[in-house]
Amino acid sequence: MIVQPEGIFYQMLTVENIPNLVEEHLVKGRPVDKLMYVPSKGKPPIPKLSDIAFFSKQRLVVLKNRGLIDPEKIDEYIARDGYQALAKALTSMDSEQVIEQVKGSGLRGRGGAGFSTGLKWELTRKSSGNGKYIICNADEGDPGAFMDRSIIESDPHSVLEGMVIGAYAIGAAEGCIYIREEYPLATKRLHIAIDQAREYGLLGEDILGSGFSFDITVHRGAGAFVCGEETSLIGSLQGQTPEPRIRPPFPAQSGLWGKPTNINNVETWANIPTIINRGAEWFASIGTESSKGTKVFSVVGKVNNTGLVEVPMGMTMREIVFDIGGGIPGGKKFKAVQTGGPSGGCIPESLVDLPIDYERLMEVGSIMGSGGLIVMDEETCMVDVARYFLDFLRSESCGKCTTCREGIAAMHDIVADICNGKGEPENIGLLEELAEAIKDASLCALGGTAPNPVLSTLRYFRDEYDAHIKDKKCPAGVCRALISYRIDPEKCKGCMLCGKHCPEKAIGGEPKGPQTIDLEKCIKCGVCRESCKFEAVLIE
Amino acid sequence: MMAKLKPEDLSRIAEKMRRQTLLREGAGRAKVTVHMGTCGISAGARKIMTTLLGLIDQQQVQDVILTTSGCAGLCSREPMMTVEIKDKAPVKYVDLDEKKTLTIFTDHVLGGEIVTDFALGMGSERVS
Amino acid sequence: MTQEISIKKNSNGKIGAVMVLGAGVAGIQASLDLADMGYKVYLVENKPSIGGAMAQLDKTFPTNDCAMCLLSPKLVDTARHPNIEIITNADLHKLDGEAGNFTAIIDKRPRYIDEEKCTGCGTCTNNCPVRNIAHFEDVDELGKVHLSQEDQQVIEQILAGHESERAAVISVLQDINARYRYLPEDILRHTAKALDIPLSRVYSIATFYNSFSLVPRGKYVVRVCMGTACHVKGGYQILQALERMLKIASGGTTEDNLFSLEEVRCLGCCGLAPVITVNEDLYGSVKQAKLPKILERYQDESVVAESTVGGTE
Repeated sequence: MIVQPEGIFYQMLTVENIPNLVEEHLVKGRPVDKLMYVPSKGKPPIPKLSDIAFFSKQRLVVLKNRGLIDPEKIDEYIARDGYQALAKALTSMDSEQVIEQVKGSGLRGRGGAGFSTGLKWELTRKSSGNGKYIICNADEGDPGAFMDRSIIESDPHSVLEGMVIGAYAIGAAEGCIYIREEYPLATKRLHIAIDQAREYGLLGEDILGSGFSFDITVHRGAGAFVCGEETSLIGSLQGQTPEPRIRPPFPAQSGLWGKPTNINNVETWANIPTIINRGAEWFASIGTESSKGTKVFSVVGKVNNTGLVEVPMGMTMREIVFDIGGGIPGGKKFKAVQTGGPSGGCIPESLVDLPIDYERLMEVGSIMGSGGLIVMDEETCMVDVARYFLDFLRSESCGKCTTCREGIAAMHDIVADICNGKGEPENIGLLEELAEAIKDASLCALGGTAPNPVLSTLRYFRDEYDAHIKDKKCPAGVCRALISYRIDPEKCKGCMLCGKHCPEKAIGGEPKGPQTIDLEKCIKCGVCRESCKFEAVLIE
Repeated sequence: MMAKLKPEDLSRIAEKMRRQTLLREGAGRAKVTVHMGTCGISAGARKIMTTLLGLIDQQQVQDVILTTSGCAGLCSREPMMTVEIKDKAPVKYVDLDEKKTLTIFTDHVLGGEIVTDFALGMGSERVS
Repeated sequence: MTQEISIKKNSNGKIGAVMVLGAGVAGIQASLDLADMGYKVYLVENKPSIGGAMAQLDKTFPTNDCAMCLLSPKLVDTARHPNIEIITNADLHKLDGEAGNFTAIIDKRPRYIDEEKCTGCGTCTNNCPVRNIAHFEDVDELGKVHLSQEDQQVIEQILAGHESERAAVISVLQDINARYRYLPEDILRHTAKALDIPLSRVYSIATFYNSFSLVPRGKYVVRVCMGTACHVKGGYQILQALERMLKIASGGTTEDNLFSLEEVRCLGCCGLAPVITVNEDLYGSVKQAKLPKILERYQDESVVAESTVGGTE
């Protein structure tokens, strides 16, 4: 369409664009640049990827092949030096040298706890007994994290190669990949990759003519968060209810079917080929004092560029959120980053310059976890976030330990009360007391870290708890019992879109006149606010 | 059944593939990669793929390699594709739909002119 | 092993030792009270462990207090109390004398393990070959397994596909779940028999994992992602809006068996939050106002055929 008298041509308009266009151009007289047609002659040159902050700050090791190879074709992986590390390990290194390299690289488990991978391998290797197993943990349960899915989907052979090298170093003949059933595409690509590797003799008997034999089977999970825990994952593989068991004995001594077993997660395995190819020293030159290499993070939530990024350890949260992530959408204020899933914590704005590594995150009450970074803005309620994680853990607790099963439920009920405006000042003390008990008396990490989301929000966002308890207000405008919706008559243009979507027919008013919400009927679903083009629906 | 590989076979395959993918040996004039991870597919990458297959078939294009790949990392701008013309830097396109795909195919893949309006940037990511 | 407890009289005729039979909560409390009063207590229990029925309860009547929360501190106190000696896995064989001066003969059954070294990890119970022998008398009592010919074929085929696996039960259940979209009872009974494991274990696995359902699901399963990114971007509002539109609670199925509504922990598409799936189709950046349109596609059979590929709405 063309707007006269200026004769401005707008392209590719949709119904959604129209109110904005009318408002900006026709009412306020400001042409809307982003909808205008840009002539192709004399156009500015397009930027280089290496000049775009999202890409330029990243350093790809694990994701080195992303977007470049067809994951369903093994030849394309080989073309980018795939399986060279395996050939190098099998032909020119003995198993001790491989472990030395991995130890020397300083690689630590990327699944969350950050135990030294080389040491773990060595422990399993030194355990007596034959028929050792290695397991790839692809049961990526942390909500907000999807790096393992993406690695398998875009570069499955890197994981397989890492596993074969690991098996050679440890002396295992069988390997399992335990993958979430929520990842059908990843599972499919994994099967294709395994079949192709077998055909090339990169899996199976006598790999690359070296005499070493190893094969991998794939097992699907069935939707249980606790399966990410080593011993319960092993239980699940053995066809039992996946309840964690007491350690020791550690899986390195007695794991799957009672045999020494080494478990690493997808990202850890995918790091191995590069370490062998480039050497331990090269890998150790990236990162911080205690945390070497790169880490893949999923940057999601209230951030402009959501996606999967790989950065050297030690990069600050600010660089990740503001440079790579491009800041907060809609000019909203940044509030916190949640790391480590339900076992982690929230890092407030005051700590945004913190360099990220295992130790530093621990110091501030969070953990590295599998690498989900969920960005939160001023419209995220931290008490609600705590309630959310407790709800998650309450349903995912396996129920073996009473403190975890009952304690998390009790904490959830207290925090839910606070969200519903029924909180009492003494609730905070009780939460802290319960948190201690759950931490001390739970067998596995699920229970042991379950109180972290509450403790870290209490530590940094105590004012929000106080606002809920004392003033019965939710500053972020999230907790439904404590808010009400109102339409700003100044901003409302009377387009009546909100009324059309309102499930309770609670919005009334004349066309083109300001609309009002009947608070008696309103169920606070928020659809009016979501559908308003003029940001006229306010939360109070 | 393919023969089992020996270590030296790896470089042979690698060399063969590199020649193909780098468009050096005349296997193709242009290569179009559609990024198809779970995110990309749910954002509509399959529609883009279908559109491209349709275009190649309809216009009987012989010298364009159409391939798929995993996620390119920038979920918020999916669906994405990369267009690489022989001897030129690859260009990444974002926020695609069928209409944009048609334009890109006509102007860039066949015509060699970058469609700046839909392009995110050119070149490759830094791989260390 | 037979242990003899013999108690000798002191000057006033009564002496400071008591035997409590039965280490349920009553016996435990009695022992603790007596021990605190300074008596030496022998707590004898027939079962291998103390705690009795209360340890198996979830809540106690009438206050609905958590049973284990009340009981477990008492268990620990009992075990640690210097005045209490616990004798488990034992029966009272003979009792002579009177209160304050008696001799009891207790038969203690063997445990075959070194109690000093045991950490209570439970691995032995899990692996016990005797316990894991399936007994199917119960199944016959509860009713025979009725399978239609088709079901029979399906399950045979599924079982055959996993014959070589060492622990096939989860994979078998997954295949059944994929075929029937839930786990039919008769087929579970058949599976237990065929795999030679107790039905109770099949049931415990079937109810543990989120992806299994024991009730039939609708033709289209709408799953709402409850991941953190989806949560902060309004996933919960989406769930509630769907509950309103479909007039079912989360976990339910519509009367016409067309839709089931479920929550899923995280679909791993956090970059497109909030996300829902309808069967295989995934929708990203979902808004409440767009939900009716998404559902519509599946309500009209003819439309569905064309739009099997999901898209961002």
